[in-house]
Amino acid sequence: MSRELLKISGLHAAVEGKEILHGIDLEIKPGEIHAVMGPNGAGKSTLSAVLAGKPQYTVTEGSIEFLGRDLLAMSPEQRSWAGIFLSFQYPIEIPGVSITSFMKTAINSKRAAEGLEPLKGADFLKLMREKMAFVKMKPEFAKREVNVGFSGGEKKRNEIFQMAMLDPVLSILDETDSGLDVDALKIVAEGVNALRSPSKSAIIITHYQKLLDYVEPDVVHVLKAGKIVRTGGREIVDIIETQGFDSF
Amino acid sequence: MPGHYIDVPVSGTAVTDSLRKVFILRPGDSAQDISIEARAGSVTDITLVILPGVSADLTVNVDFTGEGASLRLAGLYVCGSSEKVSVRTVVRHRVPFCTSDQIFTGIAGGTSRVSFNGTIIVAPGAQKTEAYQQSRNILLSRDAKVSTEPQLEIYADDVKCSHGATAGSLSEDELFYMRSRGIPESEAKVLQLISFLSPVLASLPDPDAVASELEAAIRSIVQR
Repeated sequence: MSRELLKISGLHAAVEGKEILHGIDLEIKPGEIHAVMGPNGAGKSTLSAVLAGKPQYTVTEGSIEFLGRDLLAMSPEQRSWAGIFLSFQYPIEIPGVSITSFMKTAINSKRAAEGLEPLKGADFLKLMREKMAFVKMKPEFAKREVNVGFSGGEKKRNEIFQMAMLDPVLSILDETDSGLDVDALKIVAEGVNALRSPSKSAIIITHYQKLLDYVEPDVVHVLKAGKIVRTGGREIVDIIETQGFDSF
Repeated sequence: MPGHYIDVPVSGTAVTDSLRKVFILRPGDSAQDISIEARAGSVTDITLVILPGVSADLTVNVDFTGEGASLRLAGLYVCGSSEKVSVRTVVRHRVPFCTSDQIFTGIAGGTSRVSFNGTIIVAPGAQKTEAYQQSRNILLSRDAKVSTEPQLEIYADDVKCSHGATAGSLSEDELFYMRSRGIPESEAKVLQLISFLSPVLASLPDPDAVASELEAAIRSIVQR
């Protein structure tokens, strides 16, 4: 009965003149966690980039509705304000900008877009401390330059921290599990699980089943050569684990 | 802003111990050449900040005349309209065991012209010299021009010298990362430019005061 949070219809997308996605249909209802699995080059990262509005990607056909709005007409920042969050596969380093000032700019930009006053300094710091503790990030990271000198695990943890700060309606995790050890993986999983709610959804884009050992997906899609070739439940993860992607 | 613009001329200054100076050029200020003799064991740290609206043509000369001296020479310039900024540095390593480290970062928008010419001379016998030079630039418009010209003249064989020069545009990936966090495009550009200047900003004694002045200047250029 609940209407879709996200509705992707007949999506074709290209980058540098080359079509990568050849007609994707995907519907996500509030509260659902979807896994999109596929081999390298299937178009997984293209899908996440298109959802977040990366300018280099062009949608050549199809539509995306998010909470009933035309997502493709929105800028990346407008999508963020509307509640979309992309956890990057390769988080970007920003020398000279501390995590505190980065997040303050992000949070207050959203508030400004909603016609709200900037968050008071004390309230902001309280929120920072709370969310850093939540992802088990050491307090000294608040002063660190964004992702500069971070290990792979620390970068991914910082993504989950930002996700917790921005409290999105739809989280897209692009290969967040790649290159993580078990401890870091558990923290990411805890983050995703803790943000689960009847009104919030997530798309977990991954090559492996690793993260899905800790986060139970409601729906699993197999993406291959720019198309969704199978949609089902948890059992698909097990097929991939034993037989790889060749059986699809 | 008192304490930031230091108008004491240092031309011909002989440094025997340590010298730390920040020069900030604002519209209306006139640029003066800087000339320094770095004597044995001295530590020299000079930062040059050229704010938007300033056209300047200046030379920084540093002569190492005593062993074991070090120099850090940092500069940043932000040009947003039709400024012409030309900076030349000439660092002469005349004696052994001295270190020089130069970093210049620039932002050129509008129809501005920026040129950096950095000469490093390592004299015969000035062994164990370490001399580094970096010039990094971001072009904000098609009509702005940056030319950067490193010149190394090395006449000693046991030295470490390097130079690097870049002129690029804003990073699309970095902008997208910031925008995906809800930071509007123009603000993301400001943040990226501040980040770009940070190696030099960090060397200012009170970075926050100058940083906020620069931030305001950069914001007005980006929103133009």
